[in-house]
Amino acid sequence: MVRRSTALWLLLATCAGITLFLVKHEVQEREDRLNALHSEILDNQEAIQVLKAEWSYLNRPERLERLIREFSEERPADRLQRATLDMLPQPLNSDGEAPLTEAAHIGGIVLPMARPVTVGAPQ
Amino acid sequence: MTHTRIDINDIPKPDKTVRIEGTGRQALEQGRTRLLIAGSVFALAFCVIAARVVDVSVFDRGAEPNLAQESSNLAHKTGRADIVDRNGMLLATTLSVPSLYADPKSVMDPVEAADKLRTVLPELEREDLLAKLASDKRFIWIKRNLTPRQQYDINRLGVPGLYFQKESKRIYPQGRLTAHIIGRAGFDDIGLSGIEKSHDSLLRDGSEPLRLSIDLRVQHILREELQTQIDAFDGIGAAGIVLDTDTSEIVAMVSLPDFDPNRRDQISDDALFNRASLGVYEMGSTFKIFNTAMALDYGTTSLSGGYDASKPIRIARFTISDYHAKNRWLSVPEIFMYSSNVGSVKMALDVGGERQRAFMEKLGFLKASAIELPERGFPMAPSPWRPINTMTISFGHGIAVSPVHLANGVAAMVNGGIHRPATLLRRASDELLVGERIIKEETSAAVRRLLRLVVENGTGRNASAEGYLVGGKTGTAEKPGQGGAYRRKALLSSFVGVFPVTAPRYVVLAMVDEPKGNKSSFGYATGGWVAAPAVKRIVERAAPLLNVAPVDEDAPEIRRALMVKIPEPKGNKALASF
Repeated sequence: MVRRSTALWLLLATCAGITLFLVKHEVQEREDRLNALHSEILDNQEAIQVLKAEWSYLNRPERLERLIREFSEERPADRLQRATLDMLPQPLNSDGEAPLTEAAHIGGIVLPMARPVTVGAPQ
Repeated sequence: MTHTRIDINDIPKPDKTVRIEGTGRQALEQGRTRLLIAGSVFALAFCVIAARVVDVSVFDRGAEPNLAQESSNLAHKTGRADIVDRNGMLLATTLSVPSLYADPKSVMDPVEAADKLRTVLPELEREDLLAKLASDKRFIWIKRNLTPRQQYDINRLGVPGLYFQKESKRIYPQGRLTAHIIGRAGFDDIGLSGIEKSHDSLLRDGSEPLRLSIDLRVQHILREELQTQIDAFDGIGAAGIVLDTDTSEIVAMVSLPDFDPNRRDQISDDALFNRASLGVYEMGSTFKIFNTAMALDYGTTSLSGGYDASKPIRIARFTISDYHAKNRWLSVPEIFMYSSNVGSVKMALDVGGERQRAFMEKLGFLKASAIELPERGFPMAPSPWRPINTMTISFGHGIAVSPVHLANGVAAMVNGGIHRPATLLRRASDELLVGERIIKEETSAAVRRLLRLVVENGTGRNASAEGYLVGGKTGTAEKPGQGGAYRRKALLSSFVGVFPVTAPRYVVLAMVDEPKGNKSSFGYATGGWVAAPAVKRIVERAAPLLNVAPVDEDAPEIRRALMVKIPEPKGNKALASF
């Protein structure tokens, strides 16, 4: 009996030893992989830094302006063409002709709606 | 299954026991002892090895560094933090760039190597390169700071004996555009000027980018328009500022001529000089904004008051006269609108020298400005403050301040009367703005109406950017020459504008140094002809970017808000709606 339990313990100890050894190896392998990944990340960050600088360089306002002139229509947007939402005429609602505001249908007549302010036509 | 039991008695006893006696026995004993000793030595050795195996494979040892922990800090450190504009666009960054060097000993064929190299780096001299590659040194620089692409191409050439060394380099992707603000860093990344110098230790320690208040797009517009004016009027330089009236953040600041901070070897001293913050100038008539605001705020006159400007003032050996002389009694709005020196002098004399000095001090005109640059000009103010100084300062002579001072002061005059020191750093949106009240709310409103008057009907008509309600004041100062005498031909023409004048958002200052009149300006080189058109174009181009919407300038509520009563000389007041 004593011999059998001794053998069992011995077996267990051997198994534990082998497992420990394998785990240890696995951990080492993963650490190596981690290190490799870390240095790769640092390399990539360096590359990103270079790309950021290049992006900023390519986004020089002077260059963008030149490209716009080159590739878009020759008519620059007129600053007076800007409008805000509340300068637009009021929309009709979905089910019919009734405008959203009450003031617009006094006596059943649709009144002229707010129009964008004109700031003098450019020459 | 049957077990066969073997009884101990079944084993036959040996018939005879061999006994060895004498020398034979001794030899056997000796052999056994030796075997025992050798066996135990081996056993011990195996034990040691086993222990060592366990030790090496199971326990961590200090002698074996844990690499994973060493590089677990993943922050990419470049040695110097980035600088970005208010929208996050990169203005300065540090890259580690490869530099090419050769070990001529391992270059096999210098001629072939040189020819191959020149396909990638055609700017290298062939003779020079040959001499370098054929020398018998072990290390020689071929070219510093290559681009990644060049490095790749050189590697692809496969020339033996060429190696790369990584070096860190400060890069300014925007080049000249922000040269005077960012400044530059020299070798070893030490800040030499601008933000690079004033925030040197912060940039060196931090990894977070430093965010400036500059808007790159507005900066570009400002620079381009100033350059246009220099070219058109043959000026020797220019300065310009766009400043947020409420936060006093500088959105754009340009000084021309400028330099490319990426080319350290091609920077002249004249280009390095920051006219916008280091240069101090007698600003001329733009100072009448402060003079008028001061007189109105102290209550020595009002918008319905006026002074006799029919005769020039003579004091000591000086004569103060008007450039746009009307030779009659002028009301306060007219004095401002026609930029009358005589009227301004009388206005200032009513306030008095002491109060004038206190007012200038409150505006910060007697000390260096607060912006975060090492290049800050110290104003030149008279000491003692004599009556003649009071008179000349009323129209902007006898006191010299930097353009930053001027823009910052004008912001305080139009934003409701609060002075906040100008800054180049982006303010956090929740930052509590501290400021000092300088003039009353009503005075500020009056100043705004007067500024609009100048653009609608006075000397600043060329600055009228339609829809943006520009208000402003022209300034044309004669520059003092050698010996202190003013030179009639050397002018400093400026225009300081605010927009939209009903609720000012930005101050725009444009200043051109020594412009010469031309045909388009009918020979004039004054602020109204040289600087005002630039401000007009800057406002037109920058306002959409700064989110200022155009309005109908003729709308009745705007007309009413900006109406100024101009009193008639005889006393019957006329309503003028300029």
